[in-house]
Amino acid sequence: MSKRLIVHILVGFLLLCFYATSYNALLHHGTAVKQAGRSDYYGIWNLSPTLLLALAGEFKGLMADYLTMEAGAQMGTHVIRSREGGFKVLKKDYNWAGLHRLFTASQTLDPSFAQTFIVAQGWLPWEPANMVLETQEILKVASQNRPWDWQPAHAMGFNAYYFLNQPGEAGKIFLEAAKTPNAPSFLSILGARLAQKGGETETAIVIMKSMLADKDSEEPGYSDIADRLHALEGVWVIEQAVKKYEMSHGRKPMSLQELTDSKILQNLPPNPYNLDYCMDTAGIIYFDKPDCRSSAPESK
Amino acid sequence: MQALRNIWFLALATCTEGIRHRVLWAILCLAVLLTMANLSITNLFSWDLGKVSVEFGLSAVAFAGLLLVFFLGLKILADDLERSRIFMLLSRPVSIWQYLAGKFLGLSLVLGLSTIILGLSSGLSMYFVLSHYTAFVPPNFSWISYVMAIICQWMSLVVVLAVSVLCFSFASSPFVALLLAISSYLVGQNMELLRRVVIENTHAGALTGQENLVIALSWIFPNLSLFDKKYVAAYGMFFSFQEFMLLLLYGVSYSALLLYLATLLFRRKELA
Repeated sequence: MSKRLIVHILVGFLLLCFYATSYNALLHHGTAVKQAGRSDYYGIWNLSPTLLLALAGEFKGLMADYLTMEAGAQMGTHVIRSREGGFKVLKKDYNWAGLHRLFTASQTLDPSFAQTFIVAQGWLPWEPANMVLETQEILKVASQNRPWDWQPAHAMGFNAYYFLNQPGEAGKIFLEAAKTPNAPSFLSILGARLAQKGGETETAIVIMKSMLADKDSEEPGYSDIADRLHALEGVWVIEQAVKKYEMSHGRKPMSLQELTDSKILQNLPPNPYNLDYCMDTAGIIYFDKPDCRSSAPESK
Repeated sequence: MQALRNIWFLALATCTEGIRHRVLWAILCLAVLLTMANLSITNLFSWDLGKVSVEFGLSAVAFAGLLLVFFLGLKILADDLERSRIFMLLSRPVSIWQYLAGKFLGLSLVLGLSTIILGLSSGLSMYFVLSHYTAFVPPNFSWISYVMAIICQWMSLVVVLAVSVLCFSFASSPFVALLLAISSYLVGQNMELLRRVVIENTHAGALTGQENLVIALSWIFPNLSLFDKKYVAAYGMFFSFQEFMLLLLYGVSYSALLLYLATLLFRRKELA
């Protein structure tokens, strides 16, 4: 073998090693950054709204589409292949602040896009994100820019009632939404009932039903609303039974046991939260406080 | 009369050259593919499919048109100089203004052809999407608004073309002309945004409150954001015929002024 060939082989081998080491280091660095959860949430959506608008130019709508798709991809499930050959769903650690920035960036570019506010409503106000006020802002912008659509205001009203416990405010929002052309009739009924005080259980049932009416059972948040709906329906059945008991006995029952003993109710309705219903000393029924009699009464 | 005949002859020759150019076909193929991608991309969304489809179709028209203006348009102009064809034309009874007007008109025809082809193909894909997902058709969507938006898009490209011709008339090389034209396009697209920043943003430094400066700039640079009617067409918003006609008038007058300036500057250009 000539000397020259040996030199070529050596130089080639050294260059190959150099390339393999540097590329491997780069790949490791990329994985480390990804595991630290930074790379997933770094992108153009972190720019200021003005800069984002300037960059998008006449392709604002397209960029808004891309950002909404990016949000959808980041909220997707993390699935890994298990040793047995199947797939395992991992609990993903979401960066809610980053996702909120994505939604607002998308809305800056296209304030009328339905996908943005609907996906934001499906995730941000719920556990574990708990970004109710931020979601209300997104919905407000959507509502202002979609004068033909009652749904952003409907979601705002729902959040005001369900998360913020402000039935009066929710009522006002629903009434405002009812003015939208082609708004369903239940919005005005709901708004009027919420604006008045009392009748909360039945009102809540109507809201829950309206929220579920155009939702797919696979959508995030669906099962939460459905469980709450079934629990409230249980409360409503018990409340009706208490009224009957009061009419026939001239007093409220001392416990829920008295309702079943007096045969006004055959059985207590099932509670989706697997807790016992409870009636406090003021006669208020709870589905989520089995020890309500030992604590001070409070509003639902 | 002879002048008009010269311009028309040059325009037809430029249009034919543009059509024969392979770049045009490559760009058109790309744009038709983008339009067809409309069908699959729209399916990635769950709501407002009509909006996504309309916006994607119009964006494909805009994108392909910009490629044509910046690359094909300037290349055709530069080829005349580099291959010395311009001497053959100017040695005949064709004046500089007739030469520039003919070239401009020919390239505008090429842009018009590509806009028609792309507008039709994206219209077809939009029709497919809108008829399959009727629940997501914007409430006041109208095909007339779509056609008006397409025409505005074409007029916007014509204005950018006029800017490119002006830049070509005084720039030392086609590359410098390309850079200047792209910069003017970016400024023109963000004119409304700049106005908002200057008026509303208290942290805009020396520019804060300088509304007059922005107004002056908006008279110099083309206000291209006014021609962008994708959002209006995509959500079926109201687009008055009066506004449409005023936009066309603005586009035509601005382009004519730039062509006149280009003629004056071109006379001073070193052609050899």
